[in-house]
Formats: sequence, structure tokens, C-alpha cells
Amino acid sequence: MATTTASLTLTSTDLFDDSLSISNTSTLHKAGTTIGLDQTTGLTKTYVTATQQFDPFPVVKGATNADENGRVYIANLSEEITEYIIVSIGDLVVGRLYAGDFLWMPWSPKLQHVNDIEITPSVATGMWIEFMAIHNFANIYPNSADS
Amino acid sequence: MATINATLSVSSGDISSNGLSLTNTMTMTKAGTATGLEFSSGLIRRKLTATTEIDLVAANTAQVYGTPTATTNANKIYIKNTGSSSTDYISVGLGDATGAEELDDGTSKITLGKLYGGEWMIIPYHGASNVGDVLVAPSTAEATTIEWMLFFE
Repeated sequence: MATTTASLTLTSTDLFDDSLSISNTSTLHKAGTTIGLDQTTGLTKTYVTATQQFDPFPVVKGATNADENGRVYIANLSEEITEYIIVSIGDLVVGRLYAGDFLWMPWSPKLQHVNDIEITPSVATGMWIEFMAIHNFANIYPNSADS
Repeated sequence: MATINATLSVSSGDISSNGLSLTNTMTMTKAGTATGLEFSSGLIRRKLTATTEIDLVAANTAQVYGTPTATTNANKIYIKNTGSSSTDYISVGLGDATGAEELDDGTSKITLGKLYGGEWMIIPYHGASNVGDVLVAPSTAEATTIEWMLFFE
């Protein structure tokens, strides 16, 4: 097992009349246990030059991770404010990450294709993005495309 | 406009042979601009006492705090399971609340993952009219308290 911690702070002094300050820290455990997640795809930084959708973490056919619980980080490192990536899971759009935006979410990939996370860049002129999964899944490929 | 910052830090000394240390800060802006998001649901806190799935945000529907712009936006949603249990969780999904689970048909819903006690997430909120609901279902009928907050344009 490994010990991995994640923390998030949300702050604003002018969103409300009073200041906003939220702070959270959690340790990443395997589903239903206090045993640390022990695998990672590693932090991948890549320069994408096409608007073609791709899978950062393809789920291999036959993989059964529905009861598992990993964590996914995806960031758009672009500095051009109009550039974004669309993050989808299966056929549903999670949302857009504009320049500088990131997401952090749980992921229980049940089936190949159905639960795959997909990234679609908005431009083909080149964007830096980075992504990472921390998990204990059986059979996901880092950084390769599925069909 | 407002200035809203979110900072994520992930660290481990032993997830790999060289450890991991990641920090990233984003300032929440409106889509394609440098103008900050200016609306929020406020931090909503709710105690759930059934395993019934509920809508945290219903797509394309007026909320008491306003109606988030759908589809072409840079909205964000933060969700936390405030409990401390390592075995009880909430499942978080997206899609059509009335749709079937995991069907690849564009009118279904898909479970993203689980938040056990103390766990949280922050993702963009898309809000497409037919499949943009954010859904939560507790794993237990014992009291589960969740918090969520939508930042939107």
C-alpha cells in the first residue's frame, strides 16, 4: 500500500459579502477499506495537436473495476483563454476545462467504452494538457488509444 | 465578477519510487474569458437518510440560486461526503435522472465513482439539457451528510 493525500482549498474574498474559505484533505484508499491506493499511471504531460477525441486511460475489455474507486486528475495547461478540452465519460460530457482549469474526481470504470474517460481538444494548433489516475484497477492502459 | 481560486495538492512519498508532489491552482473564469465566475449556489448541506438517488443539480432547470448557463460554459461543481466511514459512500453520476444506467445511448446516466467518508471532488459542470443532471445516491440509509457548491456563469 501507499499513502497518498489530496487536498483542496476553495477561496474567494469577493464572491459573497463574506469571504469563502473551504479546505479539505483526504487520504486515497481502496474502495471500502483504509488501505491506500497503490497504482498510478504517473503524471502525463502531453502536447496535443489534433481535435480528435482520445482516451487518457483506456479500459481494457473484460476489466472489472466497477467496485473499485480510483481518482482522476486532468488539467488544461494552455495559457490561451479561449482554448478548452471537453472531458467526457462514455457518451456523456462532464464539461469543459478552459485554460488553467483542472478536475479531480472519483472513477469506477465498469466497462470498456462505456466508462472510458475521453478528452477532446478544441484546437489543433497545439495545447499542453496533463492527466493522471491513482487507482488499484486491473487492466487499464496508460496513454494508449482504444478502438 | 469575482475571483475564486481552487488549489489542488496531491502528494505521496511511496506511490512510486520517486514519490509524487503535484500542486495546481485555477482561477475560475467564464468560458473563454479572463472574467471571473460571479454566481454560486452557496455551500449546500443536506442529510440523506435513504439510498434514493437525488439530483444535486437538475439540468436546464431554474434553481433558487439561478439557472446556470448550459453546455458552453466553465461552470464548476464541488461535492463532498462529510462522513467518516470507510465503507459507506455516495455514488456520483451524471446524466438523465430518469434514464437507464450505463447505456451508451445518449439518454442514460453514468456513474463516475464513489465518495467515501471525507472524500470530495471538483469537476466542470456542463449541464446539457437532456443528460446534465448531477446525481448522488448513498450506499446506506443511515444518515449521510453531503455538501456541494456550484460555481457558474
